[in-house]
Amino acid sequence: MSNNIGSSRRTFLKGGALLAAPIAAASVTAVTFADEGLKARVTQLEDEAEIRRLHQAWLRRVNSGERDVLFDDAVRQVTADHAGAPDQIAVAADGGSAVGHFDHAVALQTALGRDCTLAQMAHVQGHGTVRRTERRQLIVRYLKSDGAWRMDRLEWRTL
Amino acid sequence: MPGTPYPKQPMYRIAYTKLTKEQISAKLDPIAQRGPKGISPLATDFAGQSLVIVTDAGPTLSYKFAGNGKLSVAENGGKAVNAGFGALETDNVCLFSHMIPGTQHGYTLVIDRKTKLATVIELWFSGYEDNREVQRQLYYGYVDAGGTPPKARHEVTNRVEGRGYHWRQDNGMETLEYYASSAYSHFVELSRTGGELGYSAPSDYIKLDDDFYLYTRTECEFSGTFTAYVIDMNRSQQMGIRLGFDEGDELHYDIFRGQGDIVGQIAHFEKFEDNSGDPVPAPKDKDGKPIKGARRVYRPIKTMEKLSREEVDKVVKEHSTAFPARTTTGGAAGMSANALPASDFLVGKTFTLRYDHGPVMEYRVEGADELNWRMDGKADWTKARYQAYEVAPGLILFGHLLEGAPNHDGHIMAVDFHQGLVTCYNGFLNTPFFANEAGARTLFGVLEMEGIQPPMFRRHARTTEMLGRCITYSYAPGLVSMHLYSTPNTVSWIIFTPDQHGGLEWCGPGDFVKIRDGIYFMYWLEEACNGTLGTILLNMNIMHDAGIGYNCGTRGLNMSAIGAIVRHAGKFDVDKYFQIRT
Repeated sequence: MSNNIGSSRRTFLKGGALLAAPIAAASVTAVTFADEGLKARVTQLEDEAEIRRLHQAWLRRVNSGERDVLFDDAVRQVTADHAGAPDQIAVAADGGSAVGHFDHAVALQTALGRDCTLAQMAHVQGHGTVRRTERRQLIVRYLKSDGAWRMDRLEWRTL
Repeated sequence: MPGTPYPKQPMYRIAYTKLTKEQISAKLDPIAQRGPKGISPLATDFAGQSLVIVTDAGPTLSYKFAGNGKLSVAENGGKAVNAGFGALETDNVCLFSHMIPGTQHGYTLVIDRKTKLATVIELWFSGYEDNREVQRQLYYGYVDAGGTPPKARHEVTNRVEGRGYHWRQDNGMETLEYYASSAYSHFVELSRTGGELGYSAPSDYIKLDDDFYLYTRTECEFSGTFTAYVIDMNRSQQMGIRLGFDEGDELHYDIFRGQGDIVGQIAHFEKFEDNSGDPVPAPKDKDGKPIKGARRVYRPIKTMEKLSREEVDKVVKEHSTAFPARTTTGGAAGMSANALPASDFLVGKTFTLRYDHGPVMEYRVEGADELNWRMDGKADWTKARYQAYEVAPGLILFGHLLEGAPNHDGHIMAVDFHQGLVTCYNGFLNTPFFANEAGARTLFGVLEMEGIQPPMFRRHARTTEMLGRCITYSYAPGLVSMHLYSTPNTVSWIIFTPDQHGGLEWCGPGDFVKIRDGIYFMYWLEEACNGTLGTILLNMNIMHDAGIGYNCGTRGLNMSAIGAIVRHAGKFDVDKYFQIRT
């Protein structure tokens, strides 16, 4: 068994060929733009890109403290989980809806109950909450109307 | 007849007079003219001097010293006013204090003559709903001697956190003082009240330099007296002032020196690079601006539920629960998130707990959460819900409510099935001040059961082995406190901030019984503070406890599990201060 996990010149060249492929594909697209299949594909890519922009904008609002966009009072911060699965966006065949799966690290803050002395004292000193971070998958349903995407439903799944 | 001057009641039971502003002024004016009274010689190098103190976001104070006990002061360029003052000095640090005649405020200043830095403590009466409670505001600044002002300032710090002192002042006052928090402190008055109980008070800790620190405390919820002193950390000496009305409404304005002994230094839990102080920021006004004198003060008597005897009878009848399901959502139920698993050790056992000069309790245990008991063989068996925890092999903590008892008793017991011994903390209601406030009595006895021969004379016994120890209790995320066993009869508890500073602190009476080596059965009473009886059987061999709480409020009588993973933060060596003196 080989322990050599470094790239060889040959594999690098293979990678280079793969990287070059989209450029070549773009040239093909330019030539055959009228093709309906490719047109649908472009529309799908544009939809996915728009949904990603929508998601990023939503993240910025959450992390700048806009509570009304959270759908969960306990959530305080949502950041990318780089150890998680890649983002998945599936646009329905009719192009009118989509579902996104995004793995995130979610910072949560919950208030302590006030029914014991210790918790009451924590509240008096201004610290009656508990913060924790959980790995969660965010599942968002998107709807497209009048040519624009919007978030319709949001659901967290604990990983 | 000479003897230890034990008080008739603890400080939180004293009905301190609600003094009017006029009553305060009448006693304050002559004292403001005179200045503080001291025993030790006062500083003699003030006469003929003048001094201007500039503070950040605070007053500018211009002083002229006509003598070593008389000054004139102008606030913010206003008209100069004559007042009496007193001053003390150690090395380059001087402290002087004065009130302003015709007003209810004054200043205590600490100046470092070498660095020209100054801390100004403004003090005033009639600033809180209880006029007698001295209010304070600290300002940081410098001596304006012309030239460029220094950029440095004295600063709040946690560098004193964890230290404990025995102080003996020149006026005969002897105290133990524990600085186990950066926002509060705990003090035991050995000379004035015999040291039975300790008390907790909001405090400030200011670093002057690495050798000198300034400490303050205000006896909020008690007499309202304010104390401030500079600690010389190398010589273990103090110099300071004390201002306030005692329980007889006499006004004291004293300047003192004291000699200390370091009684210990426990761990503190902030990150190593974190030397910050003031961990519990004061509340601000609605615009987010600081409020003069504001601070976070735990005032439990204002918020605790207070029920009459009739209300207690009704609420106990309608809502009594024992050992509700555990949760991790915080609050009382969250106190059991780290509890030991419940044990079925008692299931199927029949035994008797025979207490010396107390009841004889017979038990038939049918299940892991249900038992039958009867007292003194007099009545029919009564079914009760219970839970048991095996804290060490053969050592069981269990508890249950005594349905039908006129004072709604609960029994919480540490039973040693190896030694045939039992200690019971018998909680009860209908106590004299608030009927829903728990009381507790400690019962010692033996276990009688087939196969066990209990001792004739040996019993569990009270111990001072926990005295001076600090133990952290982690009940659940966000629910962490540290116990400080400050006297043989006191449990104080400190709440941590999110960055692990010691924050708010409070205290109540307690009891301490040794069960086995390293295993202690303890209780604390949240007297004048929610009225809970908390019991824990602490096993320092495994650094875990099992506990049972007993509490009555508007939601009923409740007995519930508590439990924590513990750490030993250290021990103050204070045993010698609690010996019986002849």
